[in-house]
Amino acid sequence: MKNKVFMGLAAIVMVAFLSSCGTVPQAQIDAVNVSIDSAAKVEAGTYLPTEFAAVQDSMKAIMADVEVQKSKLFKKFGPAKMKLEALLVQTNGLVANTAVKKEEVKKEVETTLTDIKTVIEENGKLFKKAPRGKEGAAVLEQIKTEMATIDAAVVEAQASYDKGTYMDALNKIKAAKERATGINTELKDAIAKVKRR
Amino acid sequence: MKRIYIKILFFVIVAGLLGFIVYLLISYIPKPPAKEIDNARIALSKAFKSKADTYSKQLYGEAKANYDSAMFNWRKENAKFIYFRKYDKVSRFAKQSTNKAKQAIEASTLSTSTYKVKLNDKINKLNKLVESISTFFNRYPLPSETRNSISTGKFYLKEAEIDYSKGQFIPANKKLNSAEDMLSSAYDKAYSDLERYFKYYPQWKRWTEAAVKESKNNQSYSILVDKLSRKCYVYYNGIKKYEFDVELGRNWMGDKKKMGDKATPEGMYRIINKYSGTKYNNALLIDYPNEEDKTRFNREKAKGLIPTTAKIGGGIEIHGSGGKGVDWTEGCIALEDNEMEVIYRIAAVGTPVTIVGSIKNLQQIFTR
Repeated sequence: MKNKVFMGLAAIVMVAFLSSCGTVPQAQIDAVNVSIDSAAKVEAGTYLPTEFAAVQDSMKAIMADVEVQKSKLFKKFGPAKMKLEALLVQTNGLVANTAVKKEEVKKEVETTLTDIKTVIEENGKLFKKAPRGKEGAAVLEQIKTEMATIDAAVVEAQASYDKGTYMDALNKIKAAKERATGINTELKDAIAKVKRR
Repeated sequence: MKRIYIKILFFVIVAGLLGFIVYLLISYIPKPPAKEIDNARIALSKAFKSKADTYSKQLYGEAKANYDSAMFNWRKENAKFIYFRKYDKVSRFAKQSTNKAKQAIEASTLSTSTYKVKLNDKINKLNKLVESISTFFNRYPLPSETRNSISTGKFYLKEAEIDYSKGQFIPANKKLNSAEDMLSSAYDKAYSDLERYFKYYPQWKRWTEAAVKESKNNQSYSILVDKLSRKCYVYYNGIKKYEFDVELGRNWMGDKKKMGDKATPEGMYRIINKYSGTKYNNALLIDYPNEEDKTRFNREKAKGLIPTTAKIGGGIEIHGSGGKGVDWTEGCIALEDNEMEVIYRIAAVGTPVTIVGSIKNLQQIFTR
């Protein structure tokens, strides 16, 4: 009789154990959330948008898995825990990669700023040498105005760079560089045309 | 023996009953809408990839809100005792999220492709406008405000092209709108200035015809200056014999109004003196101001269009030292020295000099 009672109790304990042995991996969830916040703070959404979206999507999938397990009688959070650990590595990597990408963009802005300053300087010299040829003063006046617009764009790009908004600075400086290079070609062509005469 | 069978039977019945109870316990646990949630999440992810967060903001926002509500309700239900959970709301929100996300994808795809076509057309249109401005107005003395508009417009266009190439259609569209405003207003302003200037065309045409006719009737030389094309034509016996490039006063567009306005006069004049060895080498002085100029000057002065202290000016010449390529004179017409030599040789006191804004009409100029 004692044995039967013991076996019955053992069965109840077993059921209770199986139904509540899995506890939500809250520490891992919190760690990933903190890491995602860090990624957002370092502007992963701007510099690595696809990767950032992928991480957010993975987190959503894991959270759905967690809820699935929470809905069951016999919970099993092992796989979710493993996924969270892997995602934490991925998210931490994203934070580091964003910093690298940001540095790359920053360097590109710096290089383009240096390049454009050289082109602007050269344009200034070419402008003085520019033939007042058949094109006339009006053309030179237009070029001069465009050179001023480029100068203003460089100042804006520099301001964005100083603020740390490198992507904005890059877009602005690229457009300025294209225009400056266009003027450079225009002036060189005009000078070459006169030399051929 | 019989007692053993009874014991076995008892255990089988108890085990069966327990199994049945466990089965009942498990089968009555409410099933969560995991599949629906998964579908919603996948649809949301696809919507994000199709840039619905940018091009179909509202639908994407609704899809996202529904998904968040589904998850919130799921967590809320999971906090209840297992047999008291109800997932209807969760399922409903998840389905709504999927539907909205799908609609957002469709709208975004449509919007993106519409933008792509629309912006490409706009870029082409504006590049043509830039080309037109450069072809027709580069040599005009446009006001600095108009030049700034052209320059800034061109810059916005370049920025928009960069955004477009990156698939950033919203900022590209914004910049294209700014570029269009700047370039169109500059073009319209320049065109209306030119149109205003060309209201004198019938008069220029008459003068041109008269100059050629006189040359033919008198079998003599006649000099015709076309300010817009910066050309000087020499006719003999009604036939064009020479064509030279000229440079004019800095404010060449428009008739000369008063002394010091750096404008080249328009009208029918005659050479009244020939000089050599001047500051600008050979020079032919014309009879500006003629009677017509004086009448107009006095009329405009009386109307207050010209300051009362203003003088009409004079000393307008066709002279050498040209070839600078810019309009640099105070109102005279400058030619390169070797070409001036030709005109100086053939021209005599009394040779007609006709100066017009253009020998072509506006339509001919804009359809070249």
